[in-house]
Amino acid sequence: MSPALKSALATLPEYLGSHVLLSTAALVLGLAISLPLALAAIRVERLRWPLLMLASLIQTIPGLALLALFYPILLALSALLQGMIGVGVPALGFLPALIALTLYSMLPIIRNTVTAVTSLDPAIIEAARGVGMTDRQRLLKVELPLAAPVIMAGIRTAAVWVIGTATLATPVGQASLGNYIFAGLQTENWVWVLFGCVAAALLALVIDQLLGLIESGATRRSRARVLLGLGGFLAVVLAATAPVAIGHIGPRQPSYVIGAKNFSEQYILAALMADRLEAGGARVTQSSGLGSAVIFRALANDEIDAYVDYSGTLWANVMHRTDQPPRAKMLAEMKSWLHDRYGVAMLGSLGFENAYALAMRRDRAASLGIYDIADLAGHSADMAIGSDYEFFVRPEWQALRNAYGLGFARKRQYQSTFMYRALMNGDVDVITAFSSDGRITANDLLVLTDGKGAIPPYDAVVLVAPHRVNDRRLMNALAPLIGRINIGMMRKANMMVDREKDKLTPGAAARWIEQEIGLIQQ
Amino acid sequence: MSEAPPTAAISISSLTKCFSPGASPAVDNISLDVAQGSFVAIVGGSGSGKTTLLKMINRLILPDHGQIAINGEANDAMPASLLRRRIGYVFQGIGLFPHMTVAENIAITPRLLGWGVRDIAARVDQLLDLVELPRAVATRFPSMLSGGQQQRVGFARALAARPRIMLMDEPFGALDPVVRDTLGHATRTIHDRLGMTTLMVTHDMTEAVLIADRIVVMKHGRLIGDGTAVELLDPRQHDDVRALMDMPRLQAERLRARLDGERG
Repeated sequence: MSPALKSALATLPEYLGSHVLLSTAALVLGLAISLPLALAAIRVERLRWPLLMLASLIQTIPGLALLALFYPILLALSALLQGMIGVGVPALGFLPALIALTLYSMLPIIRNTVTAVTSLDPAIIEAARGVGMTDRQRLLKVELPLAAPVIMAGIRTAAVWVIGTATLATPVGQASLGNYIFAGLQTENWVWVLFGCVAAALLALVIDQLLGLIESGATRRSRARVLLGLGGFLAVVLAATAPVAIGHIGPRQPSYVIGAKNFSEQYILAALMADRLEAGGARVTQSSGLGSAVIFRALANDEIDAYVDYSGTLWANVMHRTDQPPRAKMLAEMKSWLHDRYGVAMLGSLGFENAYALAMRRDRAASLGIYDIADLAGHSADMAIGSDYEFFVRPEWQALRNAYGLGFARKRQYQSTFMYRALMNGDVDVITAFSSDGRITANDLLVLTDGKGAIPPYDAVVLVAPHRVNDRRLMNALAPLIGRINIGMMRKANMMVDREKDKLTPGAAARWIEQEIGLIQQ
Repeated sequence: MSEAPPTAAISISSLTKCFSPGASPAVDNISLDVAQGSFVAIVGGSGSGKTTLLKMINRLILPDHGQIAINGEANDAMPASLLRRRIGYVFQGIGLFPHMTVAENIAITPRLLGWGVRDIAARVDQLLDLVELPRAVATRFPSMLSGGQQQRVGFARALAARPRIMLMDEPFGALDPVVRDTLGHATRTIHDRLGMTTLMVTHDMTEAVLIADRIVVMKHGRLIGDGTAVELLDPRQHDDVRALMDMPRLQAERLRARLDGERG
C-alpha cells in the first residue's frame, strides 16, 4: 500500500466520524426546522412564496462562501453575547459549519414538502374534510402519508447536498473528509484529494440508498423497507461516529488545538508543533486549512491555541501598518502590540522567512535581461502575473506597485499549486512565489531582488493564544523550535511534501525536521 | 304540492352564497325543507348552484347568508368535523384515500368516532355485503378496483357511521350506463332499508325521475321547480322545468320510433 494511502486511512476514523456527525446533525436540525416551516407555508398561502424564495436564495450562495460567512457573523454574535450574558459562542469549527449546512439542507425539504402536499388531488382533500377529519387529522392521516414519498425524496436530496458540502467545512476549522481534499490540493497529494472525494461520494451514495429504501417503503407502504432503511441509516451513523465519540469519552487530558493555514508549510509546522506537544504527553487536534484572516481571530478568541504566522502579514493585515521599520524593531514592536492589544504571546521567530517574492523562469528572465524588480517594471505592461487568491488585495501589492511602478497586462489567480504550474507552462510570466517554497529550487526559478525593500520581512513566528500564555506544557513543547529552522531546511521539508515522487505526508516531513534539529533520534 | 312534514330532516332558509364580490350568486336566497325519510334529487345544468347548495349543508362551503337546520338544530352549532361525521357524503370524484385499503377507507369515520376495533371490522363486513362487494376486496387498494366498485366503496364509506342523512354529489357521474343504472337502484333500495333522508345532486333528469320521490330544479342559483315527477310535468311549471321534464319522455319516444323503424 502506498504511504499516502496508508496515512489517509490512518486518519479516516476521525475525519469520517466528524463528517458523518456534522452531516447528520445538520440534516436532523434542517428537518426539525424545515418541516414546521413547510407545514406553515402549506396552511398559510402568503408565507409560501417568501419562504421558498428565501430558501432558494440561500442555495444560490456558494457553499464555501456560506460556510465562511458564518465566521464573522458568529464572531459578532459572540461579542454581543459576551457583553450581555458573559458567555460567547465558538465562531470556528462545528457551530458555523452546522448552521451553514442546516441552511443548505432546507430548500429541498421545504420545496418538496410544500409541493407534494399542495398538489395532492383536491377530491381526496375534500373527502378527508367530508368524512369528518379535523385539520390536524387530515394532515397526519391523509396529506403527510400521501406526500411522504416526495418529502422523502427531498430529504434524500438534502442529505446528498449536505454530505457533499460538508467537505467545505475544513477552512472554518471543522474536521471533515474535506481535510483530505484541501490538504491534498495544497501539497499536490492527489491520492489524498481522490481519497477525500471518493470517501465523501461513497458516504453520500450509501446514505442516499438507505434513505431511498425508506422512500420506496413509504411509496409501497412497506413497513419492513422503512425500518430496514432507518435501521441501516442509524447503523452507519453510529458506526462512523463511534471513534469520535469514544475519543471524547476516553480519559481526558488537556487537549490542544494547533492551527494551520492552507498551504504545505503550515501543515508541516502544525504537525511539528503537535508532535512536540504529544511527545510531552498532551492530546492534540489540528485545525488546518484555515483562511489567513480567520486564523488570527481564532487564536485571539482562544479557539486555537497556537499557530505560525508571518511578521509581514501580521504587520499589514492585523496591525494595519504601512511603514517599514527595520526587522528587529518591527518584531519587537509587534510582540508588545500583540500582547497589549490581544493578550497574544509571540514566542519568537522559527528562524526562516516566507516572504512574497516575485519569481520568473530563469530562461525567460535571462532572455529579457531581468534580474530584479526594477528591471521587471520596464516589461510588466506586456506581461501576465499569477498570484494566490489574496495577493492583489493585500497592502504588499500596493507597496510593490507604488515603489516600482508595476502594471501588468493580465492578472491571474491560482491555487498556489497551480500557480507554479502556470509559470512553468508559460501561461504567466511572473508569479508571487513564497520564498520558503521548495518549488523555487526544484523548478530553478529566479527570485527577483527587491532592491527598494518594498516587501516587508516575513519571519515565521509562533503565536500562542491568550488563555495559554501561562501554560508550561505548551511553552516547554514549543520553545525548542524557536530559532532552529533555517530557510534551507524549510524549503527541503516543503519540497518533500510537494514533490511528485516519494512524496511525504506533512507529519513525516515534520519528523524529518525534528531529526535535523536533534529533537528526536534517527 | 305536498304538505311540509312537522319536523324536517333538513331545513334550509334564505340561503345565499356568492364566491366573488360582484359576480352573480352561486346560490341565491334558497329556502327548502327536506322531510324525514325522503329521497330528493336536485337537478340543474352545470353552474346552477346545486353542488354549492349540497356542500353548504355539511359546511364544506360556508354560506354568506341564511340558515340550515339538521333535525331542527342549526348546522353551525357544533364543530364542522363533528357535523360531518354524522352526515354521509358521497363525492363526485369519489375521493377514496389511495394509501388506505378498502376496509380502511370504509372504516375511516367510525375510527374518527372512536369505535372499537371489533365493531369496526364487523361493520366493514356488513357494509361490503350491503353494497354487494365481495369481502375479498377489503384488503385491496382503491387503484385495484373498477370505477363501479370504487363508487360502491365510496357509498359504503359514507354509510359507515350510520348517518341519518346522506348527501350525494353526482354519485354515478363517471360510470358507464349499465353500472349507473344498477347502482342507482341499489342506492334507492339501501335508502329505503335504512330509512335515511337522502339528497342527491344530478344533472340527469332520467336518473332523478327513476330514483327520487321529489325533484328540486335549480337554475342560476334559484329554485325554479319543486315537486314529484308528475307535478313537474304540469304545464303551469316554469318553461325550463318542463323542457327538462320533457327530455326523458322525448328520448324514450325517439328511441321507440327508431327501434320500430328498424323492425319495419
